[in-house]
Amino acid sequence: MTDRPIPPPIPDALKMARGDFPILKREVNGKPLVYLDNAASTQKPQSVIDAITQYYAYENSNIHRGVHLLSTEATAAYENARIKLAAYLNARDESEIVFTRGATESVNLVAHSFLEPLLSGGDEILISHMEHHANIVPWQLLCDRTGAVLKVAPILDNGDLDTEAYISLMGSRTKLAAIVHVSNAIGTVNPIERIVEAAKDKNIPTLIDAAQSIQHMKLDVQALDCDFLVFSGHKMFMPTGIGGLYGRRSRLDSMRPYQGGGDMIAHVSFDGTTYKEPPSRFEAGTPHIAGGIGLAAGIDYIESIGRDLIHDYETQLIDYAAKRLRSTTGVRLIGEPTHRSGAISFVMESAHAHDIGTILDTEGIAVRSGHHCCEPLMKRFGISATARASIALYNNHEDIDTLIESLGKVHQLFG
Amino acid sequence: MNPELKALYRDTLLKHSRDPRNKGVLKDSDAYFELKNPLCGDLITLYLKTSQKMVSKVTFEAQCCSICMASASMLTEQITQSDIKEGVDFANLLIESLSKPDISINTLESEDIQSLAGVKSFPSRIRCATLPWEAFKGAISRLR
Repeated sequence: MTDRPIPPPIPDALKMARGDFPILKREVNGKPLVYLDNAASTQKPQSVIDAITQYYAYENSNIHRGVHLLSTEATAAYENARIKLAAYLNARDESEIVFTRGATESVNLVAHSFLEPLLSGGDEILISHMEHHANIVPWQLLCDRTGAVLKVAPILDNGDLDTEAYISLMGSRTKLAAIVHVSNAIGTVNPIERIVEAAKDKNIPTLIDAAQSIQHMKLDVQALDCDFLVFSGHKMFMPTGIGGLYGRRSRLDSMRPYQGGGDMIAHVSFDGTTYKEPPSRFEAGTPHIAGGIGLAAGIDYIESIGRDLIHDYETQLIDYAAKRLRSTTGVRLIGEPTHRSGAISFVMESAHAHDIGTILDTEGIAVRSGHHCCEPLMKRFGISATARASIALYNNHEDIDTLIESLGKVHQLFG
Repeated sequence: MNPELKALYRDTLLKHSRDPRNKGVLKDSDAYFELKNPLCGDLITLYLKTSQKMVSKVTFEAQCCSICMASASMLTEQITQSDIKEGVDFANLLIESLSKPDISINTLESEDIQSLAGVKSFPSRIRCATLPWEAFKGAISRLR
């Protein structure tokens, strides 16, 4: 019998955090909820819920288009979110932050507004084998439209990126290097600093999919010096339907509009229309104002705890989870990356991932079962699905212990 | 164990999933149909051999969960040597009775197949049980 690893101590700033999330007090199937599906979507703290309620109850109005007080207040609150987000990512200023529905829309925006006009038949877009479908399919659609070619860098058997191979695929026809920072499916942390540096040497623009890293660690877009970075609010304690795109201002300036409509124009006439400066150029129509306000509250919440502290604690907790899973009968980890963040995928010899998911659900435990929108990655490991446990700042070792105990029940039933 | 979970993973179902009948490629099939559940990645390929208006042989290959596996196994036992039209009618009835809460699966005669009724308490797993039957209908449609 393997000795049980020592659980990581919970820092004082995080001890109270669990109480900030009302949903964590509920029961599921008669058991206390153990929420380990944070890579799919995180829960929302009361402060975020309150900010949205406050807006709809007392401040609701459209933005950028009224002289009355409510509109002025709503505009200020929404634009305040942009300022907070710019500071959170250390962007040069808030004009480098475009609000979108989330990481998926941000990738599609870059594909349409930035890359498409630059592409000719035979040009190349570089991605890796571990991308989420959101960082594959928009590029495939773009290749269909332009005759460009999608190049896919391989990964190693342990789930690490083959970084040398990725860099060696950067060629004279590469028009964009896109890479996921942290794999949503297996938790690999990719060496984005090295990738961006190599791309810059060859004058290749870069896009970082930060959907699974932005809530777990500090990101500094100026230090990193990437051209684009995409993320979703709902994976960082904020509402669904709001997310963003960081874009280097000089890139954004060069880009055509994304969608047409109100709020993105400087002047409209039937002879021709001129467009606003970034970021407004990419934000047609009434945006998700409440989402933006919730996003600002979410940033305040994360910063009140501190990202370094969150990162240190989560790194220890996911390491604890990996150690415990490795020594659980019948369990095999999928991906043993050198650096892991947030997520851990596994299969069982006796039970399919869906059966694991259903049984865990009856124990009150929420995990994700399936291909995690990473079918090519699953195929690389010769499987169609895994069970995935993914953590956030409110999880603790007891959540992991409950998971391990319940996997024993799965083994009992199917083993 | 949770009673609904016990009803889902009945012994009959587990028996079929652990030791599925008629699993494998049917090399001289008259039709086959591959079907994937895009939500979870379950994949099944169903092979048919017919003789006049009868289904003479059904086999399948699958990468799937225990419920899908058991359902496919039961399908092969139920449909083999049945009239094609009766087989399709049975598939339709089964899909409908699993998908609609107010229709009982007990009208279906096979006791093994009645053991699939447990999925009705787990809406996210209903498609696991119906996927093989949809693949069967797909294969039949390719005969014509």
